[in-house]
Amino acid sequence: MTLFTKPSRVLLIFAVVFLASACNNDEDPVPKNEEELITTVRLTFAPQGGGSTVTATYRDLDGDGGAVPTLTGAQLAANKVYNMTVAVLDETKNPVADITLEVKEEADEHQFFYVPSSGLNMTVIYTDQDSKNLPLGITTRATTASASSGTLRVVLKHLPGVKSANSTIATGETDVEVSFPITIQ
Amino acid sequence: MEEAPLFIHFLYFTALRNYFKLFVLFLLGACAPYMGTYAQTGPASAEVFVETDCGITLSGTITDHEDRSPLIGATVLLAGTRRASVTDANGHYHFQNLCPGAYTLVVSYIGYTTERQQKNLRAPEVVNFRLHPDGLLLHSVEITGTMKSEQITQPTGRLSGQELAQTQGQSLAQALERITGLSSIQTGPSIAKPVIHGLHSNRILIMNNGVRHEAQQWGSEHAPEIDPFVASELTVIKGAAGVRYGADAIGGVILVQPRPLRDSVGTSAKLHLVGVSHNRQGVVSGQVENNPAALPALSWRLQGTLKKAGNSKTPNYYLANTGYQEQNFSAAAGWTQGKFGVDGYFSRFGTKVGVFSGSHVGNLTDIRNALQRERPQPEADFTYTIGVPYQNVTHDLLRLHGFYKTGPGSRLLFTYGRQQNVRQEFDAHGDQSKPGLLFEITTHSNEVIWEHPLVLNLKGSVGAAYQYQFNRFEGRYFVPFYQSHTTGLFWLEEWEKGNWHVEAGLRYDYRHLQAKLFQKDTPQKTGQSDLDNQLLKPTHTWQNLSGTLGAIYHFGPHLDLNLNASSAWRSPTTSELYSNGIHHGTGTYEYGNTGLGVERAYHFTATLAYVQNQRLNGEISVYRNFIDNYIYQEPDTVPTLTVRGAFLTARQQQADATFTGVDVGATYQLSDHLLFSTKASLVRAFNRSADEYFIWIPTDRYENSLRYAVEKQGEQGVFAENYFQISALAVSRQRNLPDNYLARDYALPPPGYVLLNAEAGTTVQVGKQQIEIGLIARNLLNTAYRDYLNRFRYYADEVGRSVTLRVTIPLNF
Repeated sequence: MTLFTKPSRVLLIFAVVFLASACNNDEDPVPKNEEELITTVRLTFAPQGGGSTVTATYRDLDGDGGAVPTLTGAQLAANKVYNMTVAVLDETKNPVADITLEVKEEADEHQFFYVPSSGLNMTVIYTDQDSKNLPLGITTRATTASASSGTLRVVLKHLPGVKSANSTIATGETDVEVSFPITIQ
Repeated sequence: MEEAPLFIHFLYFTALRNYFKLFVLFLLGACAPYMGTYAQTGPASAEVFVETDCGITLSGTITDHEDRSPLIGATVLLAGTRRASVTDANGHYHFQNLCPGAYTLVVSYIGYTTERQQKNLRAPEVVNFRLHPDGLLLHSVEITGTMKSEQITQPTGRLSGQELAQTQGQSLAQALERITGLSSIQTGPSIAKPVIHGLHSNRILIMNNGVRHEAQQWGSEHAPEIDPFVASELTVIKGAAGVRYGADAIGGVILVQPRPLRDSVGTSAKLHLVGVSHNRQGVVSGQVENNPAALPALSWRLQGTLKKAGNSKTPNYYLANTGYQEQNFSAAAGWTQGKFGVDGYFSRFGTKVGVFSGSHVGNLTDIRNALQRERPQPEADFTYTIGVPYQNVTHDLLRLHGFYKTGPGSRLLFTYGRQQNVRQEFDAHGDQSKPGLLFEITTHSNEVIWEHPLVLNLKGSVGAAYQYQFNRFEGRYFVPFYQSHTTGLFWLEEWEKGNWHVEAGLRYDYRHLQAKLFQKDTPQKTGQSDLDNQLLKPTHTWQNLSGTLGAIYHFGPHLDLNLNASSAWRSPTTSELYSNGIHHGTGTYEYGNTGLGVERAYHFTATLAYVQNQRLNGEISVYRNFIDNYIYQEPDTVPTLTVRGAFLTARQQQADATFTGVDVGATYQLSDHLLFSTKASLVRAFNRSADEYFIWIPTDRYENSLRYAVEKQGEQGVFAENYFQISALAVSRQRNLPDNYLARDYALPPPGYVLLNAEAGTTVQVGKQQIEIGLIARNLLNTAYRDYLNRFRYYADEVGRSVTLRVTIPLNF
């Protein structure tokens, strides 16, 4: 403890501590690509009995914020049945990452919901299931009625450990939510 | 150090009670016949122990001769009579109802030389004493270096002793709600941040053991990383206290002060046990301290706290994932020898806090769904298990402190602090083995102060401060890497004469900030990786002055008027400048604003305090805080569209603001054992630029309580210091709102509420040890309610009835 017996030494210690703290940190951030970025959601409508397919696309290549996402809707024929498939993509990756495959792998934790707005004469029913025979919604059947217009809301819910026959659009966490403009004529 | 003044206060109240009986006699007319006569005069009559009223008061202040701090608990005796007075928290003593005559005042205080003075009393008089420290006894009082004993012209609130003990098991912010003018913003039952007069986060400084607490203060879900068990006293300075503590203290300062290290040879220990019912929380906190006989210059202490809580229960359901755990410890050691002393302190705060899943999602549709529900989703039972989302936070503080006496009443003080705060936020999204977001902020603080000797009744100090800070993150972008250098120079003076105490101060601060971020982290991102991965290093420089001018006028032994005008400024924080992304704590897409300028406050406050009276004591404080270029988040009417749906958008803006309010606190001794007390806090925050009220401002709070206290129960006094208290807290609905409210918030403010609380306590003598037991019941009627400043209010009720049992076991060897 003789270290402290002279005030000059005490002052010296504090001067050293002070200088040691007057430092600079030159660490720079490392650019990193977001691991689970979803840039694109695409709906493909294939009319039963043949005909040209129709697509609707949501695309936001720079992710959340920044430039406003682009959204193109679909024009469907009245009184027709479509085989509808949804694709969830990361188009910033090369090649493009198909996140739909991950959803399929974890099918018992995910579910797509399709909600036509009121006034849009359209119904959607599930045509695929997960391992527990619960609906998944990557492929569906969309049936149009008389001419109308509105939006089709597509919601992908992440339901880890809670997916059940009672799961609704209001449960779980939202991974995707896009409202596509739809015209039926 | 702590028990002694309490004990003396206790004696004092006993004495007061005796006077009170005589006072009643007087009121009953016993003294009425003597009113006009001066026959009953002189000290001789006092010896008969019959109080007579000749209407003369004798009062004054006892201070330390060197640093002029008030001496609390000093005894003033009128020799030859049975009358004595004990000084209060401001060092005041007073005698009432004296008759003219010759008196001898004997003033004594441990560690000081006793002084005597003859006084011929004819009219009310003020006699002040400056006691000289007794060289033999005073050897180690210095170590603390706290602001405890200073007179502050700004309104202050204090929690210590039994009142602080009653908050055990609560967070720092919840504990501070006992002080008028304070409230808290909460993110469920596990996360609370203190609010002073409507201001919080970066506008409040928390001085933890003399070091400015630095963490990710910007988020409403970032609670202060401090173990309340380290504090023996919590002091809140309400108002712009930027001169002493540094720029940014626009709203106020919270001082977390540990007990000074032992100053006498020996070993002691203390064990605190707390159990809380609503979340089945258990707390164990202990400390041991020692001053070895072989090395009297050395004193040390070890302290630690373990906390574990499960899901909280509201009146009707459990809240999923609201458990938390804490492991904290601290170690302190000091060496004092002759003219100088050094001490070191290290503390670690570690916590894992579950965040209610329902509050951590979020696009607008999710929130609207949640608002529709009667009960929150998912449903939960009781569990101690913490799932995602949760926070893992550690905060380390190393503090080195030293002083050197440069003469009588003059010292040179040095404080160095190194803090490292690591915040990991784990999301339900993506890979759950590593945090979705990690912030690591390292801060070095230095402060040198010279307290100059007393010159012309002026006591003061000059100081310099320097701080370096570095912030990094991993994972999702929200706030960039940055480093900042802050330098400050300040000068504070106090002048005291007669009934006046005046203080003035000036401070200059300089801040340099360099942020490091990629183009893609800004709103100007392009979506092309070569452009977006360009590293930007913008810099900012700010410099400005802070000032304070205040005065205390003692109208007499009972009435003090405190006036203060202060100005403080604050540079925008890095998050206010550069945040960009979805803030999961608020479900909002938050944009920073690089064009923000300095925010400046002009704070005016007046406090009238009526103290040391036999029955009525109270304080009323009014304030107005003009804040120019007040930085706040303004919700945008256009939501931000993302692939996960639409999010509420908020942008940082500046406007001129006025915060006006009043705090009232009063106690009235109804009878020997019964004390009534009342408190009220009101604040209004107005946006002068937009001519409307601000949102998210604390609502009016009123609290009334009735306390029954008996110092001893039974012949043996086995149960001592017994009390029972019942109180009602009323919080009104926020009605001072801007138009078009629902464009800025998800839901209108909830209705007001009234809560009934009760407390009881006793001290049991078991052998040599005095075991203190406290029982606190909160929300006795199990009222289901929601609080405006809790982010859970969209989803769930507040905590229901909760009973806390706490036991403090001192172990004196």
